[in-house]
Amino acid sequence: MQIYLPIAEMAVPAESILLLGTLVGFLSGVFGVGGGFLTTPFLIFMGLPPGIAVGTQASQLVAISVSGVLGHWKRGNVDFKIGGVMLVGSLAGSLIGIFLFRLLQHIGQIDFVIPVLYVVLLGGMGLLMLGESLMTALKWTRVQSKDPRPYHRPFFQILPYRMRFPRSRLYVSALLPGSIGFIGGLLVSLMGVGGGFFLIPAMIYILRMPTLLVVGTSLFQIMVTTAFATIMHAMANHTVDVVLAALLIVGGVIGAQVGVRAARKISGVYARVVLAAILLCVCTALAGELLIRPVELYVTEVR
Amino acid sequence: MRFFLCLICFSFVLLLPFATVLAEDNGNGLLTVELTADHVDITTGFHGAQLSLFGVKKHEGELAIVIRGTERRMVVRSKGQVMGVWMNKASQAFRQVPVYYDLALSAKGSDLAPHDLLKEHGIGLDALDFEPVGRKTPETIERFKEALIRNKQTQGHFPLDPKDIYFLNGDFFRTNFYVPSNVPTGDYTVTAYLFEDGKLLDRYETSLRVAQIGFSARLYDFAHGQGLLYGLSAVLFAVMAGWSAYMFLRKD
Repeated sequence: MQIYLPIAEMAVPAESILLLGTLVGFLSGVFGVGGGFLTTPFLIFMGLPPGIAVGTQASQLVAISVSGVLGHWKRGNVDFKIGGVMLVGSLAGSLIGIFLFRLLQHIGQIDFVIPVLYVVLLGGMGLLMLGESLMTALKWTRVQSKDPRPYHRPFFQILPYRMRFPRSRLYVSALLPGSIGFIGGLLVSLMGVGGGFFLIPAMIYILRMPTLLVVGTSLFQIMVTTAFATIMHAMANHTVDVVLAALLIVGGVIGAQVGVRAARKISGVYARVVLAAILLCVCTALAGELLIRPVELYVTEVR
Repeated sequence: MRFFLCLICFSFVLLLPFATVLAEDNGNGLLTVELTADHVDITTGFHGAQLSLFGVKKHEGELAIVIRGTERRMVVRSKGQVMGVWMNKASQAFRQVPVYYDLALSAKGSDLAPHDLLKEHGIGLDALDFEPVGRKTPETIERFKEALIRNKQTQGHFPLDPKDIYFLNGDFFRTNFYVPSNVPTGDYTVTAYLFEDGKLLDRYETSLRVAQIGFSARLYDFAHGQGLLYGLSAVLFAVMAGWSAYMFLRKD
């Protein structure tokens, strides 16, 4: 069934969008990832303009992160203070990201930069996850140092403006969570992803936050950032299509239901191998588009 | 006497609108066409539309019917390889490109009228005159123009071939156009031309409005008219959807 998207001004097959939403929802149920890294490339692949894909994706991520953060909030697993500092950075990053997106659109390089960013980020994350899961699967774990917090201090621990974050039991420079948030905000506006795949490792390995608080806090900051990005996209670019978002959200809710149930039956290591494989597949497909000579060398756009 | 003068003046005032209509209505009555619907309504279920046009000609001759969308500025970009990666390298902008174009002919273009006349009226894809922006060599501009036409044909906004005109009897004719689902919105013109021996005898123009209606139009107007409010509603909707998903998931 074709459904006409009023903002994108084109008809798309509703089943495909629902299916995409369900698939991504399933993945987020199983792996706890937002799935924006899959939705945006697929929407662009289906012929939607990149701007619409990224803008609409932001509003869908609001729904996903709200449904995710509530549980963590209830259990008290959100550090609002450090999340707030991250937000200062991420809102700035998101604003700059929207500006960059428009600039790239203007000079005609958006359909080049977005795939490149995806290839780099998905490829990097996929390889890291694959390596780590394979090592775990083969019981080939590295020798763990006895103290997880090393005595030598990396450069980022000697930055100024140190702040106390009692909930996370941290005393670090505010610049550190701020700049992690900044990169997260850029990812939201430029790529239409929540950025959890970057935030979570950064919060664990760079901020050294307690793992228990990491997911809830990152979801909290993704929720506010994507809400902000949605409003900015809607105001500046008119690229938020609520009909498309609704289809993705409905599919996502159904998929997440199934995914959460399936997750209980799947062992963590294999799940990570599968996720890594998916990341690498999307990465290869996008890399192929960049490297193989396109059939049509010209594109036309209304300007 | 005064009464008569008044009456004459009054009747002139009354007739004035008719006079302008007659002046606007290009043509000398040899050709009349009518669309079965003067609007294409885009609703949520829209997936393209069939457009039928009927017409009568009162003179011998061949026909051309052209549908033209509003004219916009378009940019054509060409990809090239930079360090092994394909990216946009060169670009060429054109002004006055109709967002949509389709035509129907009763005879082959070259049999209809001389090329110059067809070009003057923009009949046929090769007669379309886009105004290139900037100074590039004519060959380069031609290459980009061809690419533009090819791209628009792929999108379904330019025709691959002219449509046929069917004569129901000697001078009563019909033609069908198909408008795809991704048709650009706007005010279109539909113009019929009557040629004889390479000369234009008559033309008749009518309008076609392509617009979203109903729910989808209201959404479009809301998004474009009140971006902030629309963004806030989109967020509110997403928050509610996320919240209800959480309540739903929590039960098991």
